[in-house]
Amino acid sequence: MFKDKREVQDCLGEQQYIATDEIATVLFLAERLNKPVLAEGPAGVGKTELAKAWAGATGRELIRLQCYEGLDETKALYEWEYAKQMLYTQLLRDKLSQLLSEAETLSAAADRLAAEEDVFFSERFLLPRPLLRALTSEKPVVLLIDEIDRSDTEFEAFLLEILSDFQVSVPELGTIRARHQPLVLLTSNNTRELSEALKRRCLYLFVDYPSMEQELNIVRLKVPDLNLKLAQQAVQIVQRLRGMDLKKSPSVSETLDWAKALVALNADHMDEATLNNTLTVLLKHEADVQRARGGLEGRSGGAADLDRYTPYTDPRRKRGR
Amino acid sequence: MDQRIVHFITALRASGVRISLAESQDAMYAVDALGVEDREVFRLSLKSTLVKEAKDGPTFDRLFPLFFGSGRPQMMNGLAGLSADDQDVLREALRQVLRELQAELLRRLMEGRPLSPEELQQLGRQAGLPDANQPYQQQWITRRMLQRLGLQELEQAIDELMQLLAALGMDNQQRQQLRDAIEGNAEALQEQVEDYVGQQIAENMAKEYEKREPLDDLMHRPFESLTEREADELRRQVARLAAQLRSRAALRQKRGKEGTLDPKATLRANLQYGSVPIKMKFKHKTLKPKLVLIADVSTSMRPVAEFMVRLMYELSDQIARARSFAFINHIHDLTHEFEHGRAAEVVQEVLERIPPGYYNTDLGAALAEFCHDNFDCVDRRTTVIFLGDGRNNYNDPRLDLIDQIKRRARRIMWFNPEHPMQWRTGDSDMLQYAPLCDTVHRVSNLAELAEAVDRLFD
Repeated sequence: MFKDKREVQDCLGEQQYIATDEIATVLFLAERLNKPVLAEGPAGVGKTELAKAWAGATGRELIRLQCYEGLDETKALYEWEYAKQMLYTQLLRDKLSQLLSEAETLSAAADRLAAEEDVFFSERFLLPRPLLRALTSEKPVVLLIDEIDRSDTEFEAFLLEILSDFQVSVPELGTIRARHQPLVLLTSNNTRELSEALKRRCLYLFVDYPSMEQELNIVRLKVPDLNLKLAQQAVQIVQRLRGMDLKKSPSVSETLDWAKALVALNADHMDEATLNNTLTVLLKHEADVQRARGGLEGRSGGAADLDRYTPYTDPRRKRGR
Repeated sequence: MDQRIVHFITALRASGVRISLAESQDAMYAVDALGVEDREVFRLSLKSTLVKEAKDGPTFDRLFPLFFGSGRPQMMNGLAGLSADDQDVLREALRQVLRELQAELLRRLMEGRPLSPEELQQLGRQAGLPDANQPYQQQWITRRMLQRLGLQELEQAIDELMQLLAALGMDNQQRQQLRDAIEGNAEALQEQVEDYVGQQIAENMAKEYEKREPLDDLMHRPFESLTEREADELRRQVARLAAQLRSRAALRQKRGKEGTLDPKATLRANLQYGSVPIKMKFKHKTLKPKLVLIADVSTSMRPVAEFMVRLMYELSDQIARARSFAFINHIHDLTHEFEHGRAAEVVQEVLERIPPGYYNTDLGAALAEFCHDNFDCVDRRTTVIFLGDGRNNYNDPRLDLIDQIKRRARRIMWFNPEHPMQWRTGDSDMLQYAPLCDTVHRVSNLAELAEAVDRLFD
């Protein structure tokens, strides 16, 4: 258990994660209040990374559940290992018939069989999926439920019991309570509205693109081989690209990829050629690359002000149709 | 303190943030756990427990300093450094300042004496604060209150005082110090008044919010007769409505018997019958509709279009792919913006892009552009929805293009807010369009719109 938010920040720092005050406070609160954290924000700002760092900082194992459309409880919670059950039934057939042969009437045989039923619906045949693993783990864990907005609403509703009471109901076995309360982080890229009920159970954390200064710190920390001046220039360009009207803005992870690419190419300063050759690391749409080239031209002259860059207008209207 | 937090929560609600009882309880727990000593921690513990949507962040940031102090610098006593002689000189000078109001203000600022609650209340009453319940009134009322304090002529009064002091022989450095103190405190006083006004307005809003009567039967009110507040309320209902539609669509998919046998699921389901296949499980082909929305956003159609887009965004998990276009006389591809649910702003933006005084609805021209540039988004799985009143300003309706789309798309639906009786009147081309559509729905209110949207998932 952390003492205060400063300590959270330091521990995350040791895990190479630069946490803002807001992130540190929310994580601290989550631990104190035993509440899940819902982290929302654009893709690639380090939400998943945060869970890893949190696990590292608390010395817990990270259990990750990646959500997708059609995810159901057999994939997320548990599944009966029916093949194994069948195999056991086959192998134990002799034993079973021996057991049943002593019974005189049909109902007596059924009673005997029923008495042994527990053998086949025991935890032996239960295949734990991430959620059940997180609840039944011997050691406390961090549970990451990644991209919850991709799952269906039914699954969201199903999660509610786990998130508020840290328990699940398995019809054949009864209610399974968490041995240790896991720390839970849900992430969402906000592609759809999450339900009120889910939000109510979580602490909310909005993670946005970092400021210029923060991003520079991240680059310096993760790619120490890049020289300071180049790192500054790179971060400046990325920040300006985010101000442009692009299909997909470059994320922090892409900034890091770019920084690594610059190191790999042995670039020592940012010139037109280097920029043109490596821009595709940052931007993943051809139209974006074209637009960025247009916008970044005359960069050295300092005249290009990307904030003033006019977004797309309908060319037909310009022709005055 | 708890009382204060409760007031704060009511004010947030009044400003449109949705906060449930459980969330306010969490906020209390959080404050209990972390204490109130560190202002920043306190702020964040309230924020992370109360605000669950990024768009509500700014509202929180605006209201928080009003209720829990802004952490701005306090007023300082500017007289501490003065010798007894200088104090005498000052008193003399103040007596000579002509207007009583000015002298009083100067005295207050030099001593660093903030306004007392009673004084603030009185000033506020004079400036009409008790009736203010809109955030934009803050600036105006603040200005009026400061005027009453005489802050408007402060610069002049300071100059006057300084001249007097110079004449009475106070040295230069002392005078400069005094001037700095007065100016610093004047700023703090302004901030004090400003915060007070903001806070009172927020409280007034909260009181108003508690008093208001529930709105009934909005679902059946025509779109064009909604007031701003009713529209807001309705927007909130859209989310609930969407949840209903969603589960209906999901159920429909689940109950459909088509699809191939799913051996794995069948085995699993029949374990309880000793693997005798009694219950069949099928793999469902998830047939989510692909939608193309072509919406008229001329003035009369705006509210309908906005609610339609909002519903589509809420239901985006039941839709395979949605493209949205808006037109008045040109077509605008808004898919990207609509995907982020900023319906109202986007519709507004489109209207701003179109030259004013040029509201010349022309579906024919818009359709020609659509077929030229974006025809590829229509295929045999696509449902094309037209949202409009079919009033074309006597332009060519281009029925041939509709026919072309019809041949390619799965079906064409038309949502029209007008009553069928009106279709034959004026410049309406609806009677010509209607036979070309698979279905035509009247959507004059939210209930009808929901009904029509539900038909999308058949």
